[in-house]
Amino acid sequence: MDALQYWIQGFSVATMPMNLLYAFIGCILGTLIGVLPGLGPAAGTAILIPVTFSLDPIGGIIMLTAIYYGAMYGGTITSVLVNVPGEAASVITCLDGFQMAKQGRAGPALGIAAIGSFIGGTFATFALMVVSLPLATFALRFGPPEVFSLLLVGLSLVTGLSGRSLLAALIMTGFGLMLSMIGMDPVRGAPRFTFGIPPLYDGVGFIPVVMGLFGVGEILLSMEAPVMEVIRTKLTDLLPRREEWRVSSGAVCRGTVIGFFLGLIPGIGAIIPTFLAYVVEKKVSKHPEKFGTGVIEGVASPETANNAYANGAMVPLLSLGIPGSPTLAVLMGAFIIHGLTPGPFLFQERPDVVWGLIASMYLGNVILLVLNLPLVGLWAKLLEIRYQFLYPGILLFCILGAYSLNQSVFDVGVMIAFGALGYIFRKIDWPLAPTVLALILGPMMERALRTSLEMSAGDLSILVTRPISLVLLIVAAVVLLTPGVRLLGRKAGKDAGG
Amino acid sequence: MKRAWQITCIAFVVLSALTILLSFDYPYRDRLGPGPAFFPIWLSIITGALALALFIQTTWGGSAADAAVKLLPERQGARRIVIILLALLACLALLEPLGFRISLFLFLLFLPPALGVSNRWGTLLFALAGSFGIFHVFYYWLKVPLPMGMFGI
Repeated sequence: MDALQYWIQGFSVATMPMNLLYAFIGCILGTLIGVLPGLGPAAGTAILIPVTFSLDPIGGIIMLTAIYYGAMYGGTITSVLVNVPGEAASVITCLDGFQMAKQGRAGPALGIAAIGSFIGGTFATFALMVVSLPLATFALRFGPPEVFSLLLVGLSLVTGLSGRSLLAALIMTGFGLMLSMIGMDPVRGAPRFTFGIPPLYDGVGFIPVVMGLFGVGEILLSMEAPVMEVIRTKLTDLLPRREEWRVSSGAVCRGTVIGFFLGLIPGIGAIIPTFLAYVVEKKVSKHPEKFGTGVIEGVASPETANNAYANGAMVPLLSLGIPGSPTLAVLMGAFIIHGLTPGPFLFQERPDVVWGLIASMYLGNVILLVLNLPLVGLWAKLLEIRYQFLYPGILLFCILGAYSLNQSVFDVGVMIAFGALGYIFRKIDWPLAPTVLALILGPMMERALRTSLEMSAGDLSILVTRPISLVLLIVAAVVLLTPGVRLLGRKAGKDAGG
Repeated sequence: MKRAWQITCIAFVVLSALTILLSFDYPYRDRLGPGPAFFPIWLSIITGALALALFIQTTWGGSAADAAVKLLPERQGARRIVIILLALLACLALLEPLGFRISLFLFLLFLPPALGVSNRWGTLLFALAGSFGIFHVFYYWLKVPLPMGMFGI
């Protein structure tokens, strides 16, 4: 089957009425997650996994992916109206978006964000369609040594770009890998570090850990100073003026390119593309001094980059099986729960899932645009919910989500324990993303390393004598040791609060 | 902050040492190649060494730990955090004996007033919707299994 036939197959799957409905519901839930402060996309997506249990795998994955990119847009609304980003990627939007809201121009700010997100997301989905199949075909050549080196690159990128201390980030990666060793030995299948506790035979639940670190931990941190005031502003006039269209068009194009290409790099996170898009826009502007006072390019470019990144980051996940962020790791976990393993084999074994999902992302971008422009006022109303009701409500869904995965109270306990740990690590500014990614990639990494060593009778040089593996190891070393990369990571960590 | 980093580093050194000790229960090598202890031992050695290096850097070198950051929350903030953690632990303990609906009803009935809400009817409605309402949606409509408890509700 050639690429065109795959695309047609994808659209035939995505346009099935039920799948359209799942994409629609996912977009609504995702936007809701993005809007609600204290609930980031990673925890939000994890919490909503149980909603998809009764769905078929394609429908479930379509809905969860829609939740993911819906949340990336939803964060904009709080940035503009409350000056509090709904998720970390929308931090930079606060600068000009909130100023526009104070000038009574919240409508055009949210309008251009929706339109830019649509354009960026659609372009990135098209590029995903073009790039992912050749990349997956290439990855089919990988044996265990290459797989190990590739996973090492993925972890190095996430580690190298996390937080301000490389050592702390590496320790957190080690912590995640240690957690991943609990349960069945991935090669021999014998129990390991289970201490006779039956629930541990399945390992430490990835989803309860994410809910704890990113959901409960975030709520505990928010509890220190939970008061939030909504700026009341007019939400008429959602479309920008003619002059604003003119200046925004270039910003949207630049944001799209920056967001998509940075999305291809695992571990870069959504913060760096949005910051870079903003900085580039300021550099090319004739009036850089006006940035921060409410210029529309300051909203258009980072918001476009944000959604282009979200769609671009699906390339390494779908083609190589490497999640580039905690949210994508949750999506990977959801794939696994539904009996699917992202990576090159998925393209061969379940092309209907891969291409149906990609096609649904086109439709999802249209749904988001149609949904968000008229519903902005409704989303703004949600911001008026008092935290005393909002946070217990989020915790309710955390408990429900953690329990329902395995019908296990033990998983609820894991979530609470990691919630406390997440709070502590956030307070001391140690990054959480490496732990989460190491936890999900750990078993694959161990299996690849041990199988490689079995192939070479225990000789580690197998990792450097195979060209692709050697190149990947060099990339991993460069990422960890290059000061420029570290600088980017420090900036992202500082801006995102770790 | 510096003290917190030091304590965390020591905790990771201890965790690594414990993992190495526990790894001796499993074979390092077997007939086919590296055994179940191979990965844990090397990983723990590396993580422990990194934690030790960060401890040394934090204590005697130029550390990234920001001394100016205040770690402990204000009194009111700490109170809210403790309330939430206790409520979560209570809910964890009651979830299977009382079932989802009753334990979550109590959880949602307790938490808003404890965080400062005085609207009793609003809280009651919220608790009913969040426990019985959500149970109905997930258990009956979405077919998600949830605990019933000793009273069967």
